[in-house]
Amino acid sequence: MALSARLLALRRSPVLLKLPPYLSALCILVGLGWLLILPLNEYSRQTYISENAILPGQVHTYFGGSEHNVFRAYRQEVYGLSERSDHERIAGLGSVMREQGLKVANQSYSWHVAGEEISGTNVSGLLKGPRADATEAMVLMAAWRNFEGEINYSGVALALTLARYFKRWSIWSKDILVLISEDSTYGPEAWVSAYHTTSIVPTASRNISSLPIKAGALQGAVALDYPAGPWGQRFDKLDIAYDGINGALPNLDLFNTAVQVASSQMGIGCSLHNLKDHSDSYKDRLKTISKGLITQSVGHATGPHSAFMPYHVDAITLKTIGDGWHDEMTLGRTTESLFRSINNLLEHLHQSFFFYVLMNTNRFVSIGNYLPAAMIIAGSFSISALALWVQSGKPTPSEGTKPMRPGEKRKQPGMTVVKDGKNVALVPKEDLEVVERKMFIPAAVVLGVHLAGFIPLYLLNHVDRSNLPYTFITLTAATVILPQYLARHFLSNLPPQQICTIQSLSLLLLGATLSTLSTLNFSLAFLLGLLCSPLSFVRPLPSLRFSLEQSTRYVSVDDAAGIAANLAVVGPISVMFVAVSPPVVLWVVKGMFFGSAGAEGMLVEMARGWVAQGVWTGAVIWGVWWPVWVVGGSVLWSGCWRRPADDE
Amino acid sequence: MRLSILLTLPATLLSLIYAQEQHSYTEHLHLKPLPDNSLYAGFTFTSTTPYTAYASNHFRYFPRSLAQILQYTHTAELHLRFALGRWDEESWGSRPRRGLREGGNGVELWAWMDGAEEGWSDLVNSLSGLFCASLNFVDSGKTTRPVLSFEPEGTLEELQRKRSRTGELRLLHGMLPHEVVCTENLTPFLKLLPCKGKAGISSLLDGHKLFDANWQTMAVDVRPVCTPGGDCILEIEQTVDMVLDIERSMRPRESPIPRPLPIEDVTCDETKGYNGHDTCYPRRPKGETAWSLSSVFGRPIRGSCALGGSEKQEYDITFEVPSERTVEITSETTIPQSTTSSGSRTYRLPQNADFDLNLPHQVLGSSAQASTLEQPPLYASRQLTGHGAERGGMHTLLRNPHPYTQRIVYLESLPWFLRPYMHTLALSGAGKMEKMFYTPLLDRKRGTHLELLIEIQPLSTVELTYDFEKAILRYTEYPPDANRGFDIPAAIIRVLPSSNNSQSKQGSYLRTTSLLLPLPTPDFSMPYNVIILTSTVIALGFGSIFNLLVRRFVLVEEVPGNAIAGVVRRVRDGVARIRGMVKGGGVGRVDNGGGGVVKKGEEVVGGEVRKVDGGGRGGKKDR
Repeated sequence: MALSARLLALRRSPVLLKLPPYLSALCILVGLGWLLILPLNEYSRQTYISENAILPGQVHTYFGGSEHNVFRAYRQEVYGLSERSDHERIAGLGSVMREQGLKVANQSYSWHVAGEEISGTNVSGLLKGPRADATEAMVLMAAWRNFEGEINYSGVALALTLARYFKRWSIWSKDILVLISEDSTYGPEAWVSAYHTTSIVPTASRNISSLPIKAGALQGAVALDYPAGPWGQRFDKLDIAYDGINGALPNLDLFNTAVQVASSQMGIGCSLHNLKDHSDSYKDRLKTISKGLITQSVGHATGPHSAFMPYHVDAITLKTIGDGWHDEMTLGRTTESLFRSINNLLEHLHQSFFFYVLMNTNRFVSIGNYLPAAMIIAGSFSISALALWVQSGKPTPSEGTKPMRPGEKRKQPGMTVVKDGKNVALVPKEDLEVVERKMFIPAAVVLGVHLAGFIPLYLLNHVDRSNLPYTFITLTAATVILPQYLARHFLSNLPPQQICTIQSLSLLLLGATLSTLSTLNFSLAFLLGLLCSPLSFVRPLPSLRFSLEQSTRYVSVDDAAGIAANLAVVGPISVMFVAVSPPVVLWVVKGMFFGSAGAEGMLVEMARGWVAQGVWTGAVIWGVWWPVWVVGGSVLWSGCWRRPADDE
Repeated sequence: MRLSILLTLPATLLSLIYAQEQHSYTEHLHLKPLPDNSLYAGFTFTSTTPYTAYASNHFRYFPRSLAQILQYTHTAELHLRFALGRWDEESWGSRPRRGLREGGNGVELWAWMDGAEEGWSDLVNSLSGLFCASLNFVDSGKTTRPVLSFEPEGTLEELQRKRSRTGELRLLHGMLPHEVVCTENLTPFLKLLPCKGKAGISSLLDGHKLFDANWQTMAVDVRPVCTPGGDCILEIEQTVDMVLDIERSMRPRESPIPRPLPIEDVTCDETKGYNGHDTCYPRRPKGETAWSLSSVFGRPIRGSCALGGSEKQEYDITFEVPSERTVEITSETTIPQSTTSSGSRTYRLPQNADFDLNLPHQVLGSSAQASTLEQPPLYASRQLTGHGAERGGMHTLLRNPHPYTQRIVYLESLPWFLRPYMHTLALSGAGKMEKMFYTPLLDRKRGTHLELLIEIQPLSTVELTYDFEKAILRYTEYPPDANRGFDIPAAIIRVLPSSNNSQSKQGSYLRTTSLLLPLPTPDFSMPYNVIILTSTVIALGFGSIFNLLVRRFVLVEEVPGNAIAGVVRRVRDGVARIRGMVKGGGVGRVDNGGGGVVKKGEEVVGGEVRKVDGGGRGGKKDR
């Protein structure tokens, strides 16, 4: 009871009531700082293989010798097929696999996004594992066109050569599916979604045919990306792409196995996010983390492997980069060893981490160490929300609307005698007064704005490509105007208590959403938290209107000076606030990453992500961030429209 | 005592001599090359014993160890299967023996027995010991009682009549899809044979080769055969069927690694424009691969195992090859052989001498190559659909390739943790469901038994789908490899014999592959426990602090009264008054502040006071 009494006393403490804004600011700084110390040796760990069954690099690889001649022939064959029509290419790939004794099936797919069609045909072959009983399978993938759109000559040829080589082994305890998808994003997406459903009902935006050939539960998938032409090109390093849709990651064991096999067994250096020269310094580690942060927060596919993650199938892409001395046979042996390791698995990959942040190919931070960064930032909103809630429940000071100056003495509040059984206490009267919070209008405003978020989401995902930039410009303008409108016509007429409640509800929702999101997609939650951080400190701006009785007759000099002074505050704050609005940030992102493609390119990618890949970053932007910003803006500018004399 | 033994001795001897001809043993090997460089080998070992000898524990070829189990458990007919891999219908055609000697992946067992549950439990436990298989895990949750799927092969009714038993024999069926069939199961299997793998065709059965096969199944079938009104004999048929990859089997045991061939040995397609010294598009070598029994099986057949009834038997080996194919015999003695009209050759094994078949490399004419594969009665595939830990779906495709309507029985025995939603069971396509037998599951006690009689139209495909829910298991119920998933036994499909094409009353069988069902699995690791513990602590701490911060403390008098509270108070007062009256006043203390006291033996129900009889049941209720 002593504790509760002390806590009860504490909630009336004036110090505690003033603390929240500082606490919020501190949380944001700590969250940001937390991320910055992660690259240090003390806070990150060396990667290790957790699943004992994998035994990476423990087998001798035999891929070589005459297989090299076969590989060259297949590469020529692939080159020949690339110059023919799509139909002939699909038939040609099928016939090569059929000659090897694989069961071949084709799958066609199409999506309609932004008035365009994405379509193609996947060719897949099934190698029945001699020791397999059709319950488990692994996938060897080579997209016909890699993520950059180049034809994956050597990758496809290598997959075909490996399929022929694997066919002779009797050790496979899982079936091997060889998948030559048409492209690197939508082909695998169509294939893996059809793999996990009976039949996909065609809709207006999607038409995927079912898969005639299936094996058991997929245990892992490895994609090869090696676009060297028919005369080959040696490579320097293997870039391992691991990000899945919506920031899901493959089990760290699979990634570690690939790194271990490539670097220890084959002597190929590995890299992440195309960072070729990684000196393992603090700067490089932070660079890798931030690149990973951006890729993960966007949540879009980063290669053929990405589509597998939502289905709980661990997958990675091995992408050759640079100009070095490793040849296709080394990549083939790496893949062979990797498949032998996956084949060793007795259980689905589960031992190691699914949530991690990589800073080098052999260093990572696990969820326990990085999650607080996003959680603390999300917590800053909750703190502000609680503070605003408490504030909204406090009776308005009777002296007037002016905030109390420090030093000013307040009238001694009246005391009341309270009896509870034998206990008698003197309690300030004010503490017993409960101000009824009017909840309907605040809740309706917050809910309404959040629902309105679906309008931009719908528009951006259903408008034709050519109209997308105009839609977006309109949206940007509407986004800036909407809070002004709300502030002028709704919020400025509400009592301050309700404005406080509106902001509290909105921030509470943001805090809860971000902390939930941080466990699913850490990067998105973290970046969104940083971008939203000003919202914690938003308070109604000083008024820009004259008091009622004065404005009817003349403008006093005092008033004009006051308004000018207010304007000097309102102007920069408004500009700063608009700068962190979702559309403006998206324009900045466009400028940074979509130089040539422009707004249209970025918006089409976003629409494709939403419609075809199932990425929900768009929903988070328009359904969480945008409404919170609009509510924040309305609160901010509500003060400008308030008449100083209205506040009685 | 001794006299009686002396007296019975001649009678026993007489019966032995009489029964001699009914003790028999035969064995037979069926070889057939299949497309894709595969070889089918079907071994059959049959021994019989008269029922009288069986009843008096006298055995000659019939394995005693198995017979004693059958006697003890009152099993009339027994079928045991060990299977691995899958039969590739598209490349290999119809299944051998019409699928009658085949089992689902892992171990499968069904039997007609006299006894009830105890007999079955004894049977699975004894067989588990005999065959070194985990058959003892076939508990009530894995046992089903199929209605339509199985017919007894033996003459069970005759047997019952002869044994003057009245009760009906019961069929019980169990499957273990997770069981990995291995050498430890082959050794006891061979030990049941009279020659124990030392002579005869069983000498080819080597664990290394058998379990390197693409598909293999071992079966033990015991059935009574009674002539109407005559005697009964008990027949045991042990079969081993396998499909070997010839190329893979011929790799020497000391270097089984399929290293890339030297480039000189790879046949290149020289028609390709880019063909060169370092570029070679591989091409299949023309003609049939050369092979021999000893190279494929690792050893030749070590003489015959002609023990009994060999006079009846004309040959030991049937070799089904096109008549053009050259077959050379390597043996020290001359081998009786003959060729049937279809081109199959038959051989009889020599006594005490090795026997080997040699097939040289040969390019056959196109007529011989296009050896017609017999079309299977039905194509079936079954898949799990959906992802995630909560729900899933089952999707079965049944294709009738024949130009006539077929009726099939589809049997599914599902473990209890897979809960099918029967309202989602749908049959689409050109077929109709005629009958359905369904036993719903009981958690942890009984699995689902679903048997459907389906009619499939000629040349058409039928889709059978249903959704299911995945149960959450208790943490002790997970196996050590919990994250592997849980095996779902194969569906058994019996194609009923059509009236115009009556092969036998059995029809033919096929089984789908078994499935792997991922269930929601807790993370059995330390971080998981830490997360749970810290979450609990945080929840407790947060809860109490939140409660203190948010709760409004008011005095009792300030609480506005409501109707129910008034009623309750009135009842309380009433109870107190009654209590006071009963005790004669002064004794009952009415405690309005702390709440009324309800007397022992009385309960307040819906605002009324009701007497509850029986002391102690109500207990003391302080409200």
